[in-house]
Amino acid sequence: MNLAYFLSILVFSPLLGILVLSFMPRTQESLIKTVGFLATLPALVLSLIAYFQYRAGAGLEQLNEKVSWIQFGDSGQLGNLFSIDYELGLDGFSLIMIVLTAVLSTLAAIASIHIKKEWKGYFMLFLLLEVGMLGVFAAENLILFFIFFEITLIPTFFLIGKWGYYEKENAAYSFLIYNGLGSAVLLIVIMVLFARTGTANIDALMAAMNADNPQLVAPISENMKMGMLIALLIAFGVKLPIFPLHSWMVRVHVQAPPSIVMLHAGVLLKIGAFGLIRFGMGIFPEQFQSLAVWLAVLGVVNLLYGAFLAFVQTDFKMVLAYSSISHMGIVLIGLGALNEAGIQGAIFQVVSHGLIAALLFFLVGVFYERFQTSTIQNLGGLAKGMPITAGFLLAGAMASLGLPGMSGFVSEFMAFLGLFKEMPILAASGTIGIIMTAVYLLRAVLGITYGKAHRDFAGITDMKKFEFVPVLVLVGLIVLIGVYPSVLSEPLTSTLETIMLGIGG
Amino acid sequence: MMENAWIIPLFPLLSFLFLILFGKRLKEASAYIGILFTLASLVYSLLVLFDRFSAPTYKAEGVWLTIGDVQLTAGFEVNQLNALMLVIVSLVSFLVHTYSKGYMQGDDRFPVFYAYLGLFTFAMLGLVISPNLLQTYFFWELVGLGSFLLIGFYFYKEEAKAAAKKAFIMTRIGDVGLLIGMILLFWQAGSFEYDEIFAAVEAGAISGTMITLTAILIFIGAVGKSGQFPLHTWLPDAMEGPTPVSALIHAATMVAAGVYLVAALFPLFAASETALMTVAVIGAFTAIFAASIGLVQKDIKRVLAYSTVSQLGYMMLALGSAGYVAGVFHLMTHAFFKALLFLAAGSVIHAVHTQNIEHMGGLWKKLRVTGPLFLIGTLAISGVPLFSGFFSKDEILIAAWAHGNTLLFWLAVIAAFFTAFYMFRLFFMVFTGEARTDMKNVHESPSVMTLPMVVLGVLAVVAGYVNTPWFGTFLGDWLVEDNHALGHGHIEGPVWIMIVATAVSLLGIFLAWLMYGKRSLSRDWLTSRMPLSYSVLYNKYYIDEFYSLTVVNGAKFISSFLRLLEVFLVEGLVKSVTGITSALGRLGSKFHNGQIQTYGTVAFVGLAILVVIYAFTGGYLK
Amino acid sequence: MSTVPVQAYLALALILFCIGLYGALTKRNTVIVLISIELMLNAVNINLVAFSKYGITPSITGQIFTLFVIAVAAAEVAVGIAILISLYRNKKSVNIDEMDAMKH
Repeated sequence: MNLAYFLSILVFSPLLGILVLSFMPRTQESLIKTVGFLATLPALVLSLIAYFQYRAGAGLEQLNEKVSWIQFGDSGQLGNLFSIDYELGLDGFSLIMIVLTAVLSTLAAIASIHIKKEWKGYFMLFLLLEVGMLGVFAAENLILFFIFFEITLIPTFFLIGKWGYYEKENAAYSFLIYNGLGSAVLLIVIMVLFARTGTANIDALMAAMNADNPQLVAPISENMKMGMLIALLIAFGVKLPIFPLHSWMVRVHVQAPPSIVMLHAGVLLKIGAFGLIRFGMGIFPEQFQSLAVWLAVLGVVNLLYGAFLAFVQTDFKMVLAYSSISHMGIVLIGLGALNEAGIQGAIFQVVSHGLIAALLFFLVGVFYERFQTSTIQNLGGLAKGMPITAGFLLAGAMASLGLPGMSGFVSEFMAFLGLFKEMPILAASGTIGIIMTAVYLLRAVLGITYGKAHRDFAGITDMKKFEFVPVLVLVGLIVLIGVYPSVLSEPLTSTLETIMLGIGG
Repeated sequence: MMENAWIIPLFPLLSFLFLILFGKRLKEASAYIGILFTLASLVYSLLVLFDRFSAPTYKAEGVWLTIGDVQLTAGFEVNQLNALMLVIVSLVSFLVHTYSKGYMQGDDRFPVFYAYLGLFTFAMLGLVISPNLLQTYFFWELVGLGSFLLIGFYFYKEEAKAAAKKAFIMTRIGDVGLLIGMILLFWQAGSFEYDEIFAAVEAGAISGTMITLTAILIFIGAVGKSGQFPLHTWLPDAMEGPTPVSALIHAATMVAAGVYLVAALFPLFAASETALMTVAVIGAFTAIFAASIGLVQKDIKRVLAYSTVSQLGYMMLALGSAGYVAGVFHLMTHAFFKALLFLAAGSVIHAVHTQNIEHMGGLWKKLRVTGPLFLIGTLAISGVPLFSGFFSKDEILIAAWAHGNTLLFWLAVIAAFFTAFYMFRLFFMVFTGEARTDMKNVHESPSVMTLPMVVLGVLAVVAGYVNTPWFGTFLGDWLVEDNHALGHGHIEGPVWIMIVATAVSLLGIFLAWLMYGKRSLSRDWLTSRMPLSYSVLYNKYYIDEFYSLTVVNGAKFISSFLRLLEVFLVEGLVKSVTGITSALGRLGSKFHNGQIQTYGTVAFVGLAILVVIYAFTGGYLK
Repeated sequence: MSTVPVQAYLALALILFCIGLYGALTKRNTVIVLISIELMLNAVNINLVAFSKYGITPSITGQIFTLFVIAVAAAEVAVGIAILISLYRNKKSVNIDEMDAMKH
């Protein structure tokens, strides 16, 4: 692992695919798809190497990279030097997120086989999106983070707007407007922090903001800190999404092609949670503590709101979209609890929901490809015609509703374990969400798979070979985390300790 | 042997995995895989049980998950209750596996059925050797999954789909209670381990209110799983599943898990008189409530289902009356005779292809093996002396009396009367008299089905003798050995209780005989006198209707309300955000009309504004 | 000789500039607009000359700069008129509000 520029190679490896693709004729469908798929593999392999090396005891510090980039101000005067460096680095949490991103990117590239047109442009944007996502998690510098954050925005916009379903443009625009506004708010916070402290490095910022007498260029009042935290909450709340900033995300889930939704629900939404934990909790620990109650309340609201709305949807994709909102409520609940169990639960939920949402949307893609519909009513009795797909759909639903032995349970359990310690009454009202999750998921999934067959399944083939790969990988990971959660919790130990130290727990 | 007890649940798990992967190729040979693996579990369980007679409790654990300083563990424990449950579960499971080979023959999804049975057995065995609450919850949910899958086995039937969904959701409501209780208990006792919780309770580390609260919350979980009032409605509907499943899951094992849970946590409950009282009252009420519904049902499996609910109520009453031994004892005997009754009912259904008892009759002569076995089961459940049910029911009544629950005691006695009546009503209507419909080609089931019934029939008779006031209370003494928190192995009770119990059951049998056997009483002399109560009973007290009116509609109402909120408020927010953005854009584009003079004006105005600001602030913006 | 104070020159320049600005922003005839622009340039020239004489450090630079401005203005008018003529050939009009090709 003592490779120089290991992380840079990891983050930018998909660019190689873009380069190759740009020299290829746009009509070579299968070749383009193969190259697009292959281009996701280097990142996957490298991230797995990093993960296993870390598990084997290697330190992550040796992966840090730092190249001086932009400097201005008076270097002679202490604290008056403004510098932006190109800094990449990893801790346990971001390492896990990078592995998740790499895995889901590869699987989504397989799911992209269903894409029907302009494969070349699609895969170039797809790979650019992957660069952005990997970069977001690897960036050690707020400004670099922001650049990667924006890089994810643009390809997603085009991927939704061009390759989505009927109302794709609408969905793409509301995606862009909401996230654009969120980015603008984020940029303001980053700029204020940078202008006041002269650094954008995350660790340096954490130290500067939490020491009593930092070498600040200009001091920051408590009110201002609170304001910035709320701004961060809005910026990442749009992404997560937090009620009532969620409606763009429902449209995206319904209109985007399934392969993109896999990435969107699996990784992009998680940037919101990642940002809240990394920056919100890391840079403003004191303010975060005073907001924790509200976060928990918002979490319960998200959980219940999403669950009740998912209960009355007729389109399976809508059910899943509201289910995502509901599940992100669990992340907020965990963060609001602000103890080890809660935060660990929130991080688990981030990973777990990424895998489960990807699985379910992949399956949506599988039967949408065959029936051109995802309306529950029109699909009834799927188990008769496609027993394997139906079985996996049921498995996905079970994982999503938190069945023990699957990853959803561990995260849900820990988040509630945490919240019950701090706010038992709120937590108890949140448990209604656990029941409602079972209700809406069973209603939707049994509506699709069980019951009398509503259509003729003659000529419909069950899952093909290449479709098995993503499903088996995802189910395998979900069960692995559910049965042996240490696979996630051990890499997280040091990150959690740092966070708990920050909030004085 | 006990060190390796963890292997017992793994056999059925292997069977599940193997059949899910290769079942399609094996077809009906899958049955042998399932039977062999459960046989292995059974043999091992028996060895463990015998080992446990002479050795102390064995417990082994490892870290499962670390949260900060807290380590959550997983492992297994073999104490008296666990060892007994292991044998009961693996025995019934093995018998049902064997029976199903005949019953399910010809089904398209034969391997899937065996795979699901394996999954369920794995979860149930895992449940009974769990050393802590978290692990118990883990398997608690998994048995729910197995039950759900098997109820919905005939997935193309709308009723099966609805029943599976209902079972899952109703039990989940209870599970949430269990989850909350368990987490609260964790933050009080600092552990999920049974031992440490009991130690904390004993040391007085937990306040009395907290004990009561957590105990009742955990009891809600048991209520959901064991089909106690008011969460009982899923259990009769669960009869949509194949009959062997009803015998295994919805009679002998899973539904008894609620009773098992209360028994396993007995020291916690015993520390709170209120909690015990709650358990006893719910149990006694359920016993008589379900028995009264069972009086008038027409579906053979539904009668048995309500009987199960009622008997589980008995066990709860026993535990709530501090009769730990009585509850566990009845759990064991009930597992045998109820599984027998279900398998026999399955054999009847297999022969006549209907479940409606109005259409049956006179089957005694045609089903020469099933008939007598069904009679044994009926006698046992009715509490006729010398059969197993007699001894365990007697223990329960004594416990209730000794604990001072006089009212509940009399409720239980009435419920015993009802039980004897409806069970013999069932027996007489199915087996005696003339066939009420055309019954051709009625054959006795193959020996692969009758042999398991014979085994259960023997057990239904002799299982009671492990704990009798006449020959010795071996089971009771062994169960409470080394653990004073569980109470006494045997509670002395007045002799008249045994006489009363015998009398009411004989009375019930006699009445049933008069009405359905000898028919000297018209079948509807009671129903015609009380049409209102008959229809209330026949419609199960309208509980389902009540739930669909309140809970289901309530959820729908909230959802539609929130949908309005979503459409108007949240979408309105979106509209306003997009509106403002595009309005700003349109405003900006107005200035770009291609007229050079407009551009000039804008530039000039802009400059003027800057100059004014500069003049007012006297320099750069501060 | 120097009885005229510097304020008078500046006031004259201001008035000339405002007239020019007003004309440039409001007149429809492009020829008038071009003339108005000349007016503004000349207002600047007056300022330059005035400060070259009465400024804090009087020097000849201001006057030389004025000559530059006059030369540039002449060139600008020549180009402007040339564009105007070719536009007139196309549109048969010298009205500035009919010319919005920059929108596209």
